[in-house]
Amino acid sequence: MLVTVVGNYPKIPNLPRPARLRNAFARLDRGQITPEELAKVEDEVTIEVLKEQADAGVELLTDGQVRWFDEQTYIAGKLGGVEINGLIRFFDTNTYYREPIINGPVAWREPILIRDYAFARDNASRPVKPVLTGPYTLARLCRNDHYSSFEDVAFGLAEALNAEAKALAAEDPPLIQFNEPAITRHPEDARLAESIWRRLLSGLSGETAVSFYFGPPGDAVAAALNAGFTTVGVDTTIPGVLDAIAAGPKPPKLAAGIMDSRTTRLEDVDVLAGHVEAAAALAGSDNLYVNPNIGLEFLPREQAQAKLVRLVEGVNKARGGAK
Amino acid sequence: MSKGLLTTSVGSFGKPPYLAKARSDHAAGRISAEDLDKLTRQATQEIIDLQVELGLDILVHGEMERGDMVAYFAEHFPGMSIGGLVRSYGNRYYHKPVIHNELRWDGPYTVDMWKYAQSLTDRPVKGMLTGPYTMVDWAFEEYYPSRRDAVLAMARVVREETLALQDAGARYIQIDEPAASVRFDDIDLAAEAMGIVTEGVTAKTITHICYGDFAPVYDQLIRIPVDQFDLEMANSGYDLLDVMREKGFDKEVGLGVLDVHTHKVETVEEVVAGIKRALEFMPPERIYVDPDCGLKTRTWEESADKIRVMVEAVRRVKAEYAIE
Ligand SMILES: [Zn+2]
Repeated sequence: MLVTVVGNYPKIPNLPRPARLRNAFARLDRGQITPEELAKVEDEVTIEVLKEQADAGVELLTDGQVRWFDEQTYIAGKLGGVEINGLIRFFDTNTYYREPIINGPVAWREPILIRDYAFARDNASRPVKPVLTGPYTLARLCRNDHYSSFEDVAFGLAEALNAEAKALAAEDPPLIQFNEPAITRHPEDARLAESIWRRLLSGLSGETAVSFYFGPPGDAVAAALNAGFTTVGVDTTIPGVLDAIAAGPKPPKLAAGIMDSRTTRLEDVDVLAGHVEAAAALAGSDNLYVNPNIGLEFLPREQAQAKLVRLVEGVNKARGGAK
Repeated sequence: MSKGLLTTSVGSFGKPPYLAKARSDHAAGRISAEDLDKLTRQATQEIIDLQVELGLDILVHGEMERGDMVAYFAEHFPGMSIGGLVRSYGNRYYHKPVIHNELRWDGPYTVDMWKYAQSLTDRPVKGMLTGPYTMVDWAFEEYYPSRRDAVLAMARVVREETLALQDAGARYIQIDEPAASVRFDDIDLAAEAMGIVTEGVTAKTITHICYGDFAPVYDQLIRIPVDQFDLEMANSGYDLLDVMREKGFDKEVGLGVLDVHTHKVETVEEVVAGIKRALEFMPPERIYVDPDCGLKTRTWEESADKIRVMVEAVRRVKAEYAIE
């Protein structure tokens, strides 16, 4: 059993700690620092965020997506055939992303995340995993001005992300994770998603994870397993989600989102331990990741850290019980 | 005042640079609350004057005193306060409010500024509030046993403020629920809460809802008990009008004819065409014409350019259809 996170992490702390990244962007806008100086602050904040996760007891880290403007544009904006447009509300959250517009054939041109991943790995005290937004979600949250169908957009993106994943695989990460929240809002698309994911995973041999959140995954779990994902992440704070997994084909590995990252309320340690035990009973504790249900960025930094500490307390309690 | 196709705006305007600076100076302790208030009132006067000059029929006070539509109330409602920073997008962060205790009303909180704005003009100025569902949805809720309890408690607080605005003389009170359209399971709760707010209110009540996929939830959504639904139309090609026509709509509509998310200014012809589509199945008395959403992110110049087009389009349609 490993404690991990879903992806993003709050980028700036609250007072009295200074909001270094926010200030650096503001100074860049005013021409007071160079892009290189901003990149240096991003690196330093990445190191900070890696350390905070590790200090809280997380065992498999991410770089916190410190450099990401949002979950769509950091990757999509570096692909050929994509232009970035205005702000759109991100699902039912009161946060926004810039809408990618597909205005030509989608093309992978160069590695997008390798430098970020290698930097995080080399500066972390624990293993780090790269996390990408999946092709189905990217396609859903794009505007298509080029292809004749949604399927074609999604396959184009899957092709591009496959190239990116292969480049990442050369760095030998413990696993490569794709976040696919949008499929939980379109359960009717599970079969389509399966073929998109087949394209995505084509020629990849290591551990590949997919993470479903913002709703129950429904048939997407079976679709993900058919497509070749080895690890499936779901939000087990949603009633019935774990039961549905128990009733279907068993994922080789399960990532259980046992803690709600959209509320600042701290879960009870016993409740968290209960979630861990239920997930371990289903997947076997050797095949289990435990994490928050979504990225931590919907929380203020201090609360995110407090909730991670609490999550680890729940895991430790369950681990103690298992002995 | 004219009998149909009254023009208005959704609520917020951008803060002029001198006010934006004064607000950050005040936050940093460099200027006093009195100095900030003076500049807030100056900006309010200027935005009222601008709306009069542009020829709008029903005005807004522009929300110069508000950081954002939830934070302003969160700072004032007992039981609520401003929490830590959460990212909105990119390098934009906001202090997400927290409900940490029982919600109460010890206001009024908006009546002074409404009275001030109304004192500057003969045209009606709308009272502007944020609805109970959005107030809770855009905050961290740490006190109530359920979301429903929190939303209904918030409704009782927003109701008190609504009554205070009505008592002060507001004829139009807008209670915005931009969050109501994004979580289908909760629309009935939003409607129930709005029922608490508007029950027995004689002023005209309006709700602005945006950023949603309305078609699948239309039947539920129009049960929200208000007199007028203010809806974005321009940025979705007026598609929602087809749904309204097909499924029926017997309330008033605030017809959003200007996409607030783009710098591009609509043409008069585009706006005329949009208004005519609404007139195909609704009488002009029930149609109010306004931008899609608040103009907070646009400069005053951009806003004025867009509104001029809107007012001219309304003038042309009225002339063509002989609407008073
Ligand atoms: Zn709006």
